[in-house]
This record gives sequence, C-alpha cells and structure tokens, in this order.
Amino acid sequence: MQFLSVWLRAAQDHQHGPAAPPESPLLRNYRPKFFDAADFAALQAFTEILIPTDDTPGAREAHCAHFIDFVLDASPQATQKQWRDAMTALRTAGFHTGDATARAALVEATDRSASHPCHAAYRLIKQQNTFAFYTSRTGMIETLDYRGNSYNDAFPACNHPEHHKV
Amino acid sequence: MTYDAIVVGSGACGGWAAMQLTQAGMKVLMLEAGSRVDPVKDFKHEFLYEMDYRGQGKPGMMRRYAGSERNYRIMLDNQENPYTTSPETVYRWGRSRVLGGRTLHWARATDRMADYEFKAASRDGYGMDWAVTYAAMKPYYDRVEGFIGVSGAMEGFLQFPDGVFLPAMPLNCAEAIFTAASKSLGWPTTHRRLAQLTRVHNGRPPCHYCGNCVNGCDVGAMFSTVSTTLPPALKTGNLEVRTDTVVARIRMNRENRAQGVTYIERYTKKSIDVDAKYVILAASTLENTRLMLLSEKAGLANSSGTLGHYMMDQVGGGGVTGFLPKLKGGPARLDDGKSAGITIPNFQNIDKKTARKDFIRGYVMNATGGQTEFPQYAASLPGYGSAWKKEVKSRYVAQARVWIAGGEMLAQKENFVELDPEVKDAWGIPVLKIHFSHSDNDRKLLADFQEKAEELFRKAGGEVMPDAPRGGPVGFPGAPGSPDAGPSPAGRGQRQPRRQTLGGSIHEVGTARMSTSPKEGVLNSFCQTHDIPNLFVFGGNAFPSTGDKHPTLTMMALTARGCDRLLELAKGKKA
Repeated sequence: MQFLSVWLRAAQDHQHGPAAPPESPLLRNYRPKFFDAADFAALQAFTEILIPTDDTPGAREAHCAHFIDFVLDASPQATQKQWRDAMTALRTAGFHTGDATARAALVEATDRSASHPCHAAYRLIKQQNTFAFYTSRTGMIETLDYRGNSYNDAFPACNHPEHHKV
Repeated sequence: MTYDAIVVGSGACGGWAAMQLTQAGMKVLMLEAGSRVDPVKDFKHEFLYEMDYRGQGKPGMMRRYAGSERNYRIMLDNQENPYTTSPETVYRWGRSRVLGGRTLHWARATDRMADYEFKAASRDGYGMDWAVTYAAMKPYYDRVEGFIGVSGAMEGFLQFPDGVFLPAMPLNCAEAIFTAASKSLGWPTTHRRLAQLTRVHNGRPPCHYCGNCVNGCDVGAMFSTVSTTLPPALKTGNLEVRTDTVVARIRMNRENRAQGVTYIERYTKKSIDVDAKYVILAASTLENTRLMLLSEKAGLANSSGTLGHYMMDQVGGGGVTGFLPKLKGGPARLDDGKSAGITIPNFQNIDKKTARKDFIRGYVMNATGGQTEFPQYAASLPGYGSAWKKEVKSRYVAQARVWIAGGEMLAQKENFVELDPEVKDAWGIPVLKIHFSHSDNDRKLLADFQEKAEELFRKAGGEVMPDAPRGGPVGFPGAPGSPDAGPSPAGRGQRQPRRQTLGGSIHEVGTARMSTSPKEGVLNSFCQTHDIPNLFVFGGNAFPSTGDKHPTLTMMALTARGCDRLLELAKGKKA
C-alpha cells in the first residue's frame, strides 16, 4: 500500500513549469576525452558550419561536439574507428589546417558530391550533430519551441476552419 | 494457507481478475515476476537534454533492456528472460515484467470487436468463429469501459461499436486535416478511443497532455493496473501481492484439478509452493502458454492438441510519413501531448458489398501529425547551414504520419510456440521457441493498407517522405536508428512507421484458442480450460482470430466474463 500512497501523492504534487528545465551541467565545462585537441577543434568547427549560430543558437551553444565526444568515449571500438577514420579523411583533405573560407568550401563540396572522399565523414557528422543539436535544450526549446512534456489544463484543439475541409 | 484464487500476472487481465474476485470476497494471491515501481522515481517527466545520453542510455545498455532509457525499468531485462525463434521466424516479442505489466506503457487504444470479426469464419470460410458473440460480450465491454474510463466519440459504425465514453480528446491541426481528407474519401473516421481520462473519473485525475504515456503516467490518467484496478483490490483487504516471484509451473492434484503453483523467488532463487482453489493465468498470452507447456509433458489442458498453436499477432509495420504543406511554417503548438490521433475503422470485407476478391479480413488506420519531441526527418533533409535550419523549423509543425493500427493476421496452425529444449532463463526455466511467419493474405492486406494510406496522404495534400528516416547514424550505438536504439527517441509517442515491412504489433494472441468443442481448442467461452475446471487463462490466448481492433479491451471483457463464471462456480451455482 505504501507505494500506492506515494503514487497518489505524486499526482497531487505534480509539477510542470511553463518553462522547460535547464540543461544538464554535464557538458558545460566538459573536456574532450575521445578526440585529441586537433580533431576536437576540427569537429567543433565542422558542427558549427552545419548548424551555425544565426538569429537562433547553433551547434556551438548546444555543445554538439562535446556531446559527440562524450558518447564516443563510451562507444564500442567499431564505432570509435568509424569516427577516427572520418577525422583522418578530413585531416587528409586539409580541413584541420584550413582557414574559415577553405573549411566552408570543403563542407560545401562534401555536401554536393557523394563521391567526395569526405562525404562519409560529412554524413556521419551531420547525422550525429543533428541528433546532438535537437535533443539539446538549445535545439529543442530555444530553436524549435517544443511545447510537450508540460502541464496543460486542456489540449489545444485545432480552431482553423481551413483545416476542417479538403 | 489455501487461497481462494492465485492470479499469475498483474497486467490488464490480472489486475481486473484480482479486483473482481477480491471485491466478491475471495482471498486472492497475486504473483508478479517483476518488481514494484516507484511512481515518483520512475514516472517523472524528463527532457532528453536532462539525460546524459539523451534518452538512449549508455551505448550498449539498451541491448539488454526493452524500451528506452526513459522506460526500461517498466519493460524487461532481455538477459534474464531470453526466448528463441526458428530460422524462418522474424518476430520481436515485446514484453514487460513489472507490477502492472504492459498497462504501464501501452498504447491505450480501447476498441470493441464487432460481430463481423467474431463471426468472420462463417462469412468467408477461413478459420473458426469465436465461441462468443457481440451480444454476449457487450455487457462486459460496458462494465470494463465504464470502470477504466475511455475517451471517444459515438459514431454508430456497425464495424466499430460505440461504447461507454468520456468526452473525446480534441483534434490537433494535422488530425483535423486528415479527418477532412478521410471523410471526403467516404471513409469512416473518428477520434482514437483511448483509456485515457478527459475528466475526473472514479477518483482519478484527467490527462494533462504531457505526452509521456509510454513512460508511465505520473498521475494515473491513463488506465493501468497500478492506477485503476489494484487500489480497489487492495482496499478490500483480500489481496496479497508478491512481486519478484517467477512462476515455474502449475501443480496438479489427483482429482485432475490445479492444486496451486510453484514459484521461484527472483533474487534468492528459492522455490515456493502455494495452493489455491482456482488458478488464474494472466501473465500475458505467450507466458500463459509457456506455463501450461511447462506443467505437463504434453502441455496442460491439451487434450485437443492445439495448445501452443495458432499463434497470431496483428499485422503491423506499414505506414506513410511526410509533411502537410498547409501547416508548414506555422507557430509551435502542443501537438503530441495526448499521443493520440484519429482512427479510420476497417471498411472492407465487412459484408458482401464490401468484399474484396484479393484478400480477406481488414485493418484499422490511424493518423496524426504536428510537432514532436525530436525531428526525425532533419538529418535527411538536404543541405546544411542557416537555410537548412529554417527548413527543419518550417517542417517541424507540419510533420504527418499514417500507420496501420491493427491488421488482421490469419490464424495458421503452423505458427506455434514450444519449449526450447536447450535454452533456459535466469531461473533455469526452459524458454519459449517461437515459430512464426506471415501468409500471402497478410502481405496483400498490408499492401492494400499502404495504397490506402498513400491515398489518404494525397487527399490531405501531404508530401510523402519516401523511406522515412529514423534519424541518427547507423552504427552509432545509442543514437536513434542504430541497432540497439528504441523505436523512437526515448520511446515517446508513436513508433516510426516503416513502409512495406511486415511486423508484429505487440498484439500477440492465440495459442490456447476458445472453442465450443473441447476437441478444437483449449478454452471454453469463459476462458476456462476444457480439461481442468479450476484453471482459467486470461489474456489473448482465447482468440481464435485477431480481428482488426486492438485486443486489450476484449481481453479484459473476457476476463470479466470469466470471473463471473468462476464466482458462479465457487458459489455452486454452476456445475
């Protein structure tokens, strides 16, 4: 019976603020564990080109590169190798040492051509960067304005007449 | 001590049986193989960014557990509870071991079956009719719905019988668009009928539209054993609940009656016998059958030879995903807070006029759309940079999907379960080996659904997204789309439908079907075994066919009906 009374108390104490909670402190002062400094800097630059800071926050504010490093540090060797190979491809293509213009040009080239030597690296980083960004508070709340996971008195019904006819 | 009844399992049927029997004065022992849940700790709402691994768990963790980082505690440990399959089988057995079972995270769809399903064999000649009719079931549907609380709209569709409803949940914009499109095609259309409260009901609060249904409802607005049937059962003082008790077999006496069961304590592995006047199996369909197979060499109550056979699961896996241009660029809205959608009941093969020549039976469609927690489509949108970000945002509120809610899978004797001769679970109990494959009819039915789903999408003005992505890089453990990832980010909302992929719906039924004649099935219409009068089996076991409705309500109504019978027997009113 004790757990049921706890359960009922949870209903009474139930709290959802209108504001989403803050992000986890995990990545705030995070130091890369998987990538070395050069690869991490390159990865960070790449993620920020893919999801730039503009009128809304981007990969930098969402700590996307940090999240990727954090997950990779706990990942199996096969996955880690996939990412090391990706960074090797970028390094070979000059991304690590290129200036901002050269880096932007390389990203554009890899996006355009599936046969580009760095295309696999581009796909890999784009996919995980997208996940990292839109599962962060920066991406989910500040950029997309996600409204779920909240307490609501009622469900907002569609009140647009144009949606009720074909 | 000899209990009046032992109930094995605490899901939808076990919870109902415990409530009904204890309220009638019976002393009941409920045995649950899993643990109790801590509602405060386990049912909290968390944003993905509050979790270190964003809902996916540490890489590799979710290979061990079913579900996601958010809800694996109310799912199952695969290492403790393995099962095996034959080489031709492609089947994923979705299970739970926890007090409350799958009611803690079920889809809540609460639909009545109709006579065209109960009497399908008489109409098209395939399989076997049910030993009950809609008229026999209606009072029990009424009773169950009235107690657990079901939101829905009265429609008058003969193939989708109305029930005892609380007010329906409002439609979001995408659902309104799909409703208009479906009606313009001449298809029956209604709100999804959900065991989810829209107002205070029997002391339980209404839904607050947070969208966390599959992670355990933190206020009990959705029906579960823990929120709904267990409290009144405990209140009687007649119920004893023992969790972490793994039932290993049913013990028989010399009078061909069940004496009781033997269970193994989950952590101490100590074997304990308990006795009762009635034994009720309600441990989920396949676990019930496993117990009967474990209890006698040829299977308990198996004079018909059908125990384990005619396994079915509703055809799933189809779907269309894309966008509704009407909604692009619109403001953010709470679209996924009810985890619901609309329902398009089956409208084919329900009578001579609607008969198809190329396949028999039918399917139910669901549709919804709008904002979701994670934009699954984003990584596959071409490009990058600010323009890409804007496109992701524009499409965010315009997401749309149609999926097959339940397609009837034909019963085949060749689909069966048996005990694996070699593999045992963590307690040394032989596990199930599943033999399961689909028929041509199943494939044709799914193909027809796919055509209709795309037709609906087009009518709604939608853009179909071919080969809808599940997001995340393949081979990156822990991210969506990776082999060990859950069906959607952290298990929220609906599963991401896939095109043309036959799969199960976690609606496994059959393996101890009901029959009028003891020669044709294991159970009678009261879910009492033909062979052993004090052994009842509640779950999907009795189903001779799947129908196209979600099965839980029918399982519960059969349980209520069976408990009425059991109480009459106990009082000596029936032979």
